[in-house]
Amino acid sequence: MASRNFIHSGRKIIAIGRNFSEHAKELGNAVPKSPFFFLKPTSSFISNGQAIEVPKGCEVHHEVELGVVIGKDGRDISAKDAHHHIAGYTLALDMTARNLQDQAKKAGLPWSAAKGYDTFTPVGEFIAKDAIQDTNDVDLSLKIDGVTKQNGNTRDMIFKIPSLIEYVSTIMKLQEGDVILTGTPAGVGRVLPGETVTCELASKGKIVSQLRFPVIDRPNKA
Amino acid sequence: MADFRRTGRKIIAIGRNYSEHAKELGNAVPTEPFFFLKPTSSYITDGQSIEIPAGCEVHHELELSVIIGKEGRDILAENAEDYIAGYALSLDMTARNMQDKAKKEGRPWSASKGYDTFTPIGDFIPKDQIPDHGNVDLSLQVNGVTKQNGNTRDMIFSVPALIENVSSIMKLEEGDIIMTGTPKGVGRVLPGETITCNLTVDGRVLSQLTFPVIDRPTPKRR
Repeated sequence: MASRNFIHSGRKIIAIGRNFSEHAKELGNAVPKSPFFFLKPTSSFISNGQAIEVPKGCEVHHEVELGVVIGKDGRDISAKDAHHHIAGYTLALDMTARNLQDQAKKAGLPWSAAKGYDTFTPVGEFIAKDAIQDTNDVDLSLKIDGVTKQNGNTRDMIFKIPSLIEYVSTIMKLQEGDVILTGTPAGVGRVLPGETVTCELASKGKIVSQLRFPVIDRPNKA
Repeated sequence: MADFRRTGRKIIAIGRNYSEHAKELGNAVPTEPFFFLKPTSSYITDGQSIEIPAGCEVHHELELSVIIGKEGRDILAENAEDYIAGYALSLDMTARNMQDKAKKEGRPWSASKGYDTFTPIGDFIPKDQIPDHGNVDLSLQVNGVTKQNGNTRDMIFSVPALIENVSSIMKLEEGDIIMTGTPKGVGRVLPGETITCNLTVDGRVLSQLTFPVIDRPTPKRR
């Protein structure tokens, strides 16, 4: 099934911006009145245990997120039908070159490079839909070298998953294997080469996914 | 390679690669390339309709696309030709009013560039039919009236330079396309109009495309 194999089959990664109000505020941004998104390239996927690369000159931040994996094509999907289009979930990080993103925002330029470097979308395994009974009660946490940096719950999402699916699908048709990253709670911060990022997703107190990503310098060109 | 629309994992679109186009939109001429992503869900082929979403002022942008034939990253410009499989004639349709708003607010360009049908593209043109990507004539008409008429010699950054720049950020994969920028003459299209465009090399027409423009259909709600 294409959705289980989303790292290889997925055609796009849609990342929702500023979907936790505390995260919007910590970066000095206005809390949005409607969702917005940006794209990350599927070339940026890495799996559990692979290394996150920090490119030269980039200040790279972690952002832990719940990913929704699409199981059925559709567009103009209503929020009430949204659950039919979900195949499952994944624990993900939206790695971001924060200094490049700040420059892009000031200049009115795209976010694509800041968000799109190789290895900038670490993801876990496919999580079957029924492993998460309530998507509005999912604990997401992230540590750097064992120290907790982010610790949130999806109850604090401003726009819930059905609304996000409705919104995105009014612009771009969704296809099996697509992933929607649903936003990050407060506590984003920089990671440095030599550190290790670990993150966890728990549903109703039960750990469903646990991931580990070493951080290295992006290797120089050969 | 002929089915790049189905297999390709990303569309990388270069911004402001013709100085006259940068100036016509009141933008600074860039000192280095920048890009944004368009989703592969936005592809349409010759004869299919471009959809205008409600509330969007949609502009045409005529571009030469390069189709990648071999995976690579940190590709040097001097080796770039080895990674090119061929080309295609394409349009980077843009919701200009949404893009202007996004630029003012420092927000992503993804929605304004990513609506369904916003990447009309022709068939694969094998590499040997375009011996010099720096000498390709591109022209676009709306209802038979010429709006854009340029040659790729006016690109600020050449195809090899673009491949080097993009691949230093994101690995390129077979079937990816790089849209190399648009000459001046961009403008609005309205439902009921028809766009035609062609790609010519030394007087020989290699690609000729027609796209009717319609309103994006409103969803049927049960």
